[in-house]
Amino acid sequence: MNSFQLLMEGFAAALTWVNLLYALLGVTLGTLVGVLPGIGPAMTVALLLPITFTVEPASAFIMFAGIYYGGMYGGSTTSILLNTPGESSSMITALEGNKMARRGRAAQALATAAIGSFVAGTLATAMLVVAAPLVVDFAISFGAEDYFALAILAFTAVSSVMSRSVVRGLASLGFGLVIGLVGIDEQTGQARLTLGLPQLLGGIEVVVVAVGLFALGEALYVASRMRHAPPDVIPVGRAFLGRRDWARSWKPWLRGTALGFPFGALPGGGAEIPTFLSYAAEKKLAKGDEFGKGAIEGVAGPEAANNASAAGTLVPLLTLGLPTSATAAILLAAFQQYGLQPGPQLFDHSPALVWGMIASLFVGNVMLLVLNLPLAPLWAKVLHVPRPYLYAGIVVFAALGVYALNASVVDLVVLFLLGLLGFAMRRFGLPIAPAVIGMILGPMAEIQLRRALAIGAGDIGVLVGSPVAVVLLALSLLALFTPLLRKLWARRRTEAVTAPSQSE
Amino acid sequence: MNGRWWRPELILALAVLLLGVFVVVGTLDVSTAASTLGLGPRFFPMLVGGAMILIGVFYIADVLRGGTGDPEESEDVDADAPADWRSVLLMSGIFLAFVAIVQPLGWPLAASLLFTALAIALGAEHRVRAAILGLVIGFGTYLLFVKGLGVTLPGGVTPL
Repeated sequence: MNSFQLLMEGFAAALTWVNLLYALLGVTLGTLVGVLPGIGPAMTVALLLPITFTVEPASAFIMFAGIYYGGMYGGSTTSILLNTPGESSSMITALEGNKMARRGRAAQALATAAIGSFVAGTLATAMLVVAAPLVVDFAISFGAEDYFALAILAFTAVSSVMSRSVVRGLASLGFGLVIGLVGIDEQTGQARLTLGLPQLLGGIEVVVVAVGLFALGEALYVASRMRHAPPDVIPVGRAFLGRRDWARSWKPWLRGTALGFPFGALPGGGAEIPTFLSYAAEKKLAKGDEFGKGAIEGVAGPEAANNASAAGTLVPLLTLGLPTSATAAILLAAFQQYGLQPGPQLFDHSPALVWGMIASLFVGNVMLLVLNLPLAPLWAKVLHVPRPYLYAGIVVFAALGVYALNASVVDLVVLFLLGLLGFAMRRFGLPIAPAVIGMILGPMAEIQLRRALAIGAGDIGVLVGSPVAVVLLALSLLALFTPLLRKLWARRRTEAVTAPSQSE
Repeated sequence: MNGRWWRPELILALAVLLLGVFVVVGTLDVSTAASTLGLGPRFFPMLVGGAMILIGVFYIADVLRGGTGDPEESEDVDADAPADWRSVLLMSGIFLAFVAIVQPLGWPLAASLLFTALAIALGAEHRVRAAILGLVIGFGTYLLFVKGLGVTLPGGVTPL
């Protein structure tokens, strides 16, 4: 069966009443947590992981996909309407979007963001449909050494791209890897790093780590530097786009999509680089001097890039089991809860699930467009939630999610310690995503490493035994040392420039 | 604090190094005899521990040489504000107190207290409103999760 037929069957699965309801629940929740500062899709999906014990896998993934896409839509509302800088991937949107809003063009800014997200999300999901089977065909012959090399590439790329300082990215990754080590070794039944606590034998649950690093860490960090002024939200009516704005928006949407999808699909590509590139491209192409004062192209392009990269991230996740963002890592953990392993085999073994999820992305995009255009004023109201209540509520839900797992006080103590770690990481500028990816991908990297070395009878050379592995490991080294080389090069250049002037 | 080289970030960098040492030392007692095929359960931890020690050394060197990361920016954070350690300690204390009372007191009351105390610590102006909201959230989540979703949470002293 070709992928078009499979996709049609996916639609048949996604369009049942129950699954439409789960999709609607997902996109609504996703938009809500995207709009609210302090929480995001990664933490929301993590908090909802326990539902995997009771809900059908297809329905659960349709809901998770909705949360994932919804978070992207919601984030743009916040960056356009709130007068304060936000997280880095939506910061670019804020550059022009916030200025548009202050000039009284909030409705147009929100509309171009929402419609652009819809266009980009739909096109990028279509690209996912085309690209995924190709990657699967290529990856079907991957051996253990190739998967190990892929994990190494994800580790190094994420650590070096997400932070300005490579050593801080790697430190974050290391924290995640160590957390992933705790518990019983699956192959030999040996307990590792459990400190003799029986509660730690099963390992530290993903929910505890994600909620600790994201929710509690964020709440503590915000408490340490709270803005005490009430949130400054720009009022807005129903979002709409005039004819002239359509004409100015559609090209940036397409360009943003073209930039966002491939970067999202690359390990360590993420959303930040393509949104920035899209902004830079639109600025260069713009006529007149509106840029910097609220040009609609500067919202349309980066928002499209942001959403397209979210779809791109799903390519390595579904076809290789390789998460390249924190949310993708949590989604991977959700697959594992069901005993499913994303990768080429997933498309063979559970086509209904995969294609149902992909089909639901199209459905979710339509829902999000409907939710975001007329309901913009409602989401704007959400931004007014008094911050003390918001962060107190976030901590209570974090505690609830963790306590509901096993009703264990040990889990709550671990949650607190991870919250402190999350706080320290934010304070000192360590990115959180490498830790989450390290924790979830680390144990899989170990399994593949041991498998590869067992096949090679202990010969280390087996790790570079296939051309794919060699290329991937070379790319990892490149990812690790590029920032260093760039720094050295920049220093040499500034020295060359400043040296003569100093000698005068 | 003393000396120009001292910066709070040094604690985190040291923690990375010590965690690496801990991983290496902590897995020394894991017996390798249990594995008959390929590598034992100690190999990967040694790799991770060794890498952490290496990263820790580089991190410490970077901090000592004056390197910095970018503190995270967020909508509700005033990046230029000096760190308010009192709030962080207060929140930590409240959370740990919650951990201590949640078993004996039960989820509904403990969660109500947690919400109210945190909201007030974070600067909620109306204490009564915070307390009412806390009760609504504490009992609401209990009813929703226990009665609605079948999750087990200890009710403690509340007769629900």
